[in-house]
Amino acid sequence: MERAAQQAVPLGQMEVFQALQRLHMTIFSQSVSPCGKFLAAGNNYGQIAIFSLSAALSSEAKEESKKPMVTFQAHDGPVYSMVSTDRHLLSAGDGEVKAWLWAEILKKGCKELWRRQPPYRTSLEVPEINALLLVPKENLLILAGGDCQLHAMDLETGTFMWALRGHTDYIHCLALRERSPEVLSGGEDGAVRLWDLRTAKEVQTIEVYKHEECSRPHNGRWIGCLATDSDWMVCGGGPALTLWHLRSSTPTTVFPMRAPQKHVTFYQDLILSAGQGRCVNQWQLSGELKAQVPGSSPGLLSLSLNQQPAAPECKVLTAAGNSCRVDVFTNLGYRAFSLSF
Amino acid sequence: MSSESSKKRKPKVIRSDGAPAEGKRTRSDTEQEGKYYSEEAEVDLRDPGRDYELYKYTCQELQRLMAEIQDLKSRGGKDAQAVEIEDRRIQSCVHFMTLKKLNRLAHIRLKKGRDQTHEAKQKVDAYHLQLQNLLYEVMHLQKEITKCLEFKSKHEEIDLVSLEEFYKEAPPDISKAEVTMGDPHQQTLARLDWELEQRKRLAEKYRECLSNKEKILKEIEVKKEYLSSLQPRLNSIMQASLPVQEYLFMPFDQAHKQYETARHLPPPLYVLFVQATAYGQACDKMLSVAIEGSVDEAKALFKPPEDSQDDESDSDAEEEQTTKRRRPTLGVQLDDKRKEMLKRHPLSVLLDLKCKDDSVLHLTFYYLMNLNIMTVKARVTTATELITPISAGDLLSPDSVLSCLYPGDHGKKTPNPANQYQFDKVGILTLRDYVLDLGHPYLWVQKLGGLHFPKEQPQHTVITDHSLSASHMETTMKLLKTRVQSRLALHKQFASLEHGIVPVTSDCHYLFPAKVVSRLVKWVTIAHEDYTELHFTKDIVEAGLAGDTNLYYMALVERGTAKLQAAVVLNPGYSSIPPIFQLCLNWKGEKTNNNDDNIRAMESEVNVCYKELCGPRPGHQLLTNQLQRLCVLLDVYLETESHDDSVEGPKEFPQEKMCLRLFRGPSRIKPFKYNHPQGFFSHR
Repeated sequence: MERAAQQAVPLGQMEVFQALQRLHMTIFSQSVSPCGKFLAAGNNYGQIAIFSLSAALSSEAKEESKKPMVTFQAHDGPVYSMVSTDRHLLSAGDGEVKAWLWAEILKKGCKELWRRQPPYRTSLEVPEINALLLVPKENLLILAGGDCQLHAMDLETGTFMWALRGHTDYIHCLALRERSPEVLSGGEDGAVRLWDLRTAKEVQTIEVYKHEECSRPHNGRWIGCLATDSDWMVCGGGPALTLWHLRSSTPTTVFPMRAPQKHVTFYQDLILSAGQGRCVNQWQLSGELKAQVPGSSPGLLSLSLNQQPAAPECKVLTAAGNSCRVDVFTNLGYRAFSLSF
Repeated sequence: MSSESSKKRKPKVIRSDGAPAEGKRTRSDTEQEGKYYSEEAEVDLRDPGRDYELYKYTCQELQRLMAEIQDLKSRGGKDAQAVEIEDRRIQSCVHFMTLKKLNRLAHIRLKKGRDQTHEAKQKVDAYHLQLQNLLYEVMHLQKEITKCLEFKSKHEEIDLVSLEEFYKEAPPDISKAEVTMGDPHQQTLARLDWELEQRKRLAEKYRECLSNKEKILKEIEVKKEYLSSLQPRLNSIMQASLPVQEYLFMPFDQAHKQYETARHLPPPLYVLFVQATAYGQACDKMLSVAIEGSVDEAKALFKPPEDSQDDESDSDAEEEQTTKRRRPTLGVQLDDKRKEMLKRHPLSVLLDLKCKDDSVLHLTFYYLMNLNIMTVKARVTTATELITPISAGDLLSPDSVLSCLYPGDHGKKTPNPANQYQFDKVGILTLRDYVLDLGHPYLWVQKLGGLHFPKEQPQHTVITDHSLSASHMETTMKLLKTRVQSRLALHKQFASLEHGIVPVTSDCHYLFPAKVVSRLVKWVTIAHEDYTELHFTKDIVEAGLAGDTNLYYMALVERGTAKLQAAVVLNPGYSSIPPIFQLCLNWKGEKTNNNDDNIRAMESEVNVCYKELCGPRPGHQLLTNQLQRLCVLLDVYLETESHDDSVEGPKEFPQEKMCLRLFRGPSRIKPFKYNHPQGFFSHR
């Protein structure tokens, strides 16, 4: 009798549910495959979709080529962060980092290679992982998130080597200074901290919200995004998007953008940023707004520049956020089309 | 050549002077003496090599003599020299003779050689001819051989029994194992013999079977005749027993009568009647089936054409009564035609579906004869009188109560593609304008009546099919029941909602914290157009989730100065399809899912994670629970809003809820998930 009642559920239920899921989808993370031809995107339902950039960008691209070539359930919770090594796709979100082989994903066999959980102390709620960072020289993966620590994992052995403590609230973002092996982390507590990888110690702390030029108390203290380029660092979030000189720890340029920014990156002599609002913003280092390119999502969370030398034809900027679409910008000037879950 | 000939001539002249060489003369002399001289024979005796030597020597001598003569002549000195010259000339002449001889001999030799060559050549030619003859013969023979080899005998096409079988089954006088075992030719012959034998036997058998068949056919004929003579006799017995049955009031009779009436039903209604009765008897005792309408009228329909014309004139007369005053203009004629086209069969099937709480769904099924479709009218009666809330106006109206029972089945379009052509003739644009009067032609109704309409081909050959009806009966009846129950449940919930009370039932209390401060202050129905014009519902409209068959409501939740508007889409398929909420918060500026991730998260909490809010089966409390959840979400949202340090004074909403963390993830989502027994909030 009960089974019969289940059968009586009309078909439309599934379709409505799927439409609602798509409507409330958020794409948190993106990562380009080592060959540069594929893009992985992770959403708030824990799914990872693989799009073929080369197919979508080719001249005979159809509607289907803008759909994922494969979608799989990677995590139980949202996929907050993803990075690609030369063979693996690493994804993290709900407290665990999982590895997938790119070669197998492209063959549509989506079985995780391994999974690791950093040693957490709290037990009530598993802390999330908001950011992953690869340190290629030392073959290290740095994880940071809900438990206010940076965990370093040796990619060779899969063991957690050390943890860096210092933040008083959860960590949003990480960035690497390539020349001197230093890692920057920005968190909800409003501080950007510099860590020396060799000594595993804190070197410098910048409490951004304490500087009057950029603090915006009504938005909160949190640092949502940061990026570095030699001695320069740009960060934003609750406080305004600001360019800092690291050695002197002084803000040099405050970018006039009201909405909190969620992602920022250096690109040639420009700074690209995105956040609340439909646009990808392009800034001159002097603080001038060079261009604002509108996308299709009401808010953006991640930008990804595909600069893999292996696929020069797929050199695009992709942006994703509060929708089920990944916008593809073939040049920085305009949105060509959107990939969609 | 010319120089040689001149050389030859010269000695000739000298020779005519007569001076033969010494050596030469002696030899020829001896030969001439010995026997009869024959130069031909001499040739054989002499050695050509030595002749050549001789020739060379002679030529040298001649040259020398010539030179001496020349010398002498040039010196002058006449007499002495003349003698010497003469002497030399004679010597020269001899040499010339020798040369001549040699020349002849050479000629003879040449001739001889030629003859020999010729002879040999002839011989070779003869041999060559012989060889070619032989080759030709060989080729011919080879061709003959291949021809023989390629010869196909007819027996090869015959599919013979296998060798083992042959030796096992064939009688020894055919198989002759001792002869045939070693000789494949004999063996094949024997097998062919056996094949022939077998075929002869089978032909015999075939003939036998034919005669047998004929015999049986004759028997069948006889038996058929017998059976047909039995039919009238049985009929007469039946006739005779009828009065007895009626007299005894056998229960068989009542059902029989209903079936008798059912006989006059048009095929689709008949199918529906039979299937519904059967389903009622087998599965659902709460289902009652009856037939309404006049049997006589139905009978009249099946009378021969002249009677039916009377019938038409009758109906015409009736219509004339109603349209007495009007002139019979073209418009009226068209009107009549329309009425004729939309005519219902006089009989209809009445289905009463009783639910557990004594509310009854009355369904009346009609059959439109000329359009060949079925329609249904629905009415809901409840055990206790309901106070109808304003916002529940459409919930139980006959027009919409069964809308979209199956997805997309609005019941406003004719399901029979052929009808469109009929409509074109009489100027009906769509059936939509007539459904209130005629009833709704839902697709499931057609299926219950066994009518199946193909999408592409507009044709009239639609047959009624029992199996189609049977396959849909159970699901449809269940759907009908859930629909009525969910509508009644909504009806009840609306009555409370309008008074600002969210009627959370006791078995759903565990979903929410004990203290909820936000209050529902308004619950009103809004029009579809108004909904689409709201600025924060664009996403839903674009996603195609706001069709005109849905019902639309606006809820307002308040806490202090914060006002949360919620636009609600209620799908007719409630509660399996959840109501969809779109939010707009007015507090420190207007916040929608476009500019606030937490509003977006709240929407997804009620819209996507609705399954945990369904409560006990069948989940009719979903709407209430969603609204209550919305109140809780607003509480969490307001209480966890980060406090602006720069603003003096206490917070408007002090944090009362227990939260593990305030924000999580890149979107800084607030802890919206409620954990039941512990009572704290966490992140999803």
